[in-house]
Amino acid sequence: MVLVTAVVKPHALDAVREALSYLGVAGMTITEVKGFGRQRGHTEVYRGAEYRVEYLPKLKVEVLSTAEMADEVVETIAKAARTGKIGDGKIWVTAVDAVTRIRTGETGPSAI
Amino acid sequence: MQHLLLNLQAAAAPSFSDKAYLNTGDNAWQMTAATFVALMSVPGLAVLFGGLVQKKWVVNTILMTFAGFATVLIVWVLWAYHMGFGSPLFRGANWKASSDPITNFFANFIGRPGTTLSSQGEEAQASIPLVNPGMPPFALPNASVVYFQFVFAAITPLLFLGSVLSRIKFKVWLIFVPLWTSLAYTVNAFLLWGGGYWAQQGAGDFSGGYVIHLAAGTSGFVAAAMVGPRIKKDRERALPHSLPLVAIGAGIVWLGWNGFNGGDPYFASADAATAVINTNMATAAALLMWVAWDMFLGPAKKPTFLGAVNGMVVGLVAITPSAGYVNGAGALLVGAIDSTIVWMAWTYLSRASFMKKVDDAMGIVYTHGIAGLMGGILLGVFADPTVVEYQSVNGAKISITGALYGHPKQVLIQFLAGVTVILWDALVTFAILKVISFFTPLRMTDEECEVGDLAVHDEEAYPETEGVSRVLPGYSTSPPVPAPASVHASSSLPVGGGA
Repeated sequence: MVLVTAVVKPHALDAVREALSYLGVAGMTITEVKGFGRQRGHTEVYRGAEYRVEYLPKLKVEVLSTAEMADEVVETIAKAARTGKIGDGKIWVTAVDAVTRIRTGETGPSAI
Repeated sequence: MQHLLLNLQAAAAPSFSDKAYLNTGDNAWQMTAATFVALMSVPGLAVLFGGLVQKKWVVNTILMTFAGFATVLIVWVLWAYHMGFGSPLFRGANWKASSDPITNFFANFIGRPGTTLSSQGEEAQASIPLVNPGMPPFALPNASVVYFQFVFAAITPLLFLGSVLSRIKFKVWLIFVPLWTSLAYTVNAFLLWGGGYWAQQGAGDFSGGYVIHLAAGTSGFVAAAMVGPRIKKDRERALPHSLPLVAIGAGIVWLGWNGFNGGDPYFASADAATAVINTNMATAAALLMWVAWDMFLGPAKKPTFLGAVNGMVVGLVAITPSAGYVNGAGALLVGAIDSTIVWMAWTYLSRASFMKKVDDAMGIVYTHGIAGLMGGILLGVFADPTVVEYQSVNGAKISITGALYGHPKQVLIQFLAGVTVILWDALVTFAILKVISFFTPLRMTDEECEVGDLAVHDEEAYPETEGVSRVLPGYSTSPPVPAPASVHASSSLPVGGGA
C-alpha cells in the first residue's frame, strides 16, 4: 500500500477530484498548505509599501492506494493539475505499512 | 491689538442672520439626513456587498464602492445636479404647454447642465425651478439640497454595482458611472423630482422607488447581460465570505434609510417623522414576511439570516416611493405585500431560463427592481390623502390619493412612470456599455477573475504576516528564503520539496 501525496494549485482541486473519482478512487484528504518552489511568491502593496509574499497557498491532496494502482493515481493527478506553468506542484509516493478502517476494523488493502 | 483684529474679522464674516430664508432646524435635519444616506453607501453597501462576495473579491468590491461614490460627486457638482433639478433644457423662453404629449414630454425631460461651484450655487436659497411653485419656499441653502440629492445619485450606481461585481473592469466602472449619472439618473430625477413630465402628471415617488431602485434594478440587469457572467466557478459557488460583515452593512443601510425617506420633504416636518416611522414599519413587516416564507416554502424550510436581509432591503425599497404618502396601516401592508411578491419572484421567476442567462450577482433586479416597481404601484393603491406632505401651498394641502381612497387612476399613472424609467434606463445602460466596449473589454480576463483582488489590486482583504518581507525602494526583490542550511548540511542532493 502507498500514500500518494500531491501539492497542487488550489483551483486544480475540482479537476483532480473528478479525475480520481472517474478512476474509482473512493476517498481523499485535503489540507490547505503554503509553500514555495520554483514559482516565486508575489508582491502586495499596502499604503505605498511593497511586500514580498514568499509562500503561496496550495492544496495538499493525500490518497491511499494499492501499490499496483499507484502509478495510475499519480498520472491521473498530474494530468488533471497540469497547466504547464511554473507552480503546478509536485506528487510523491511513500510506502504505507498498515491501514485500518475505523468503523469496521478492516485492515490492509480492503480498508483503503 | 491681536484681540481687536480677531473681533473685527468675526464681525466681517457673514452671519446666519443675513440668510433670512434659512431655518436652522430644517437645515440641521437636511444635513443630518444627507449624511445618514451617505453612510448607507460608504461604508454600508461597501461592507454589505463585501460580506456577500467571496474572500478573493472583497477589496475590489469595496474599492469600486468608494471610487463610485467619489466619481458621482464630481459630475454632480460640475453639471449633473442641474440636469436633474435645474431649469428644463428643451424649452424656449416663450414655451407653453402643448396639447401634444410627446412635445410636452421632451420639454419636461431633463434640466440644463450647470455647476454648483459659485458662492451663490452653495449659499443662496435653494430652488428647484419647476417644483418651487408647488411647495413652500425652501428654508435651506443650495448646498444642503445639492448634497442631499448627491447622496441619492451616488447610491444608485452603487446598488447596481451589485449586479456586475466580480468581473467588471475597474476602469470600465469608472467611465460607466459618470456617464450613467449624467444620462440616465438625471432624467429619472428630472421626470419625477425636478418637476418634469411625470411629476406634472401626478406620479409620486417620495424618495426614489423609481428614480433609484427601479433604475438600479433595470440598469444592473442590463449591465450584467452586457458584461457577461462571472467565471463559472465563481458563479456556481457564490458563497458569502462573512455574514457578520453583511450584518454591519445591512444595519447601516436600514437605519440610514431614516435619512433617505425622512429627508425628502426638505423640512423637519410631521411628514418627515411619518416617513421615518412608516419606513421602519414596512421594513419590519417585510423582514418577518420573508423569514416566514423561508420557513414555510423555502428549500430547507428554515429561517435564514441572508433571507432576513433580503426581506429588510425589499421592505426599505417598497416603502420608499410612498413613505410620506401612506398611513401606518398602509406602510405595514406595503412591506408585507411587496416582500411576498419579491420572495415569489426570487424563488420561482429566477428559475426561468432568461433570468438564469443573466448573471445579476446580488439579485438587484429582484430586491430593487421588482421591489421598487411594486412599491410605486402600491403607492397608487394605498396613498392616503390625509397624510399631508405640505400643509399649505397656495391654500392647498399637498398629498396623493390612491385607489383605496377613490382614485384608481393613480395606479395607472404610477405604472406608466415606472415603465418610462425601465425603458430609458435600459436603453441608456445598453448604449453606454456598447460604446465603451468598442474601446476596451468590459470584463477582466479569466486569469484575473480566477485570482481576484491580488491580480487586480495587489491587495487582499486579509493579508497574512507569515513569510512576508518588506521590499525597500532601491533594493532588488529577494528570491525565496532558502531552507536553513543546517538541516540539509549533510545532503549533497538538491533540497526543497515545495511546489
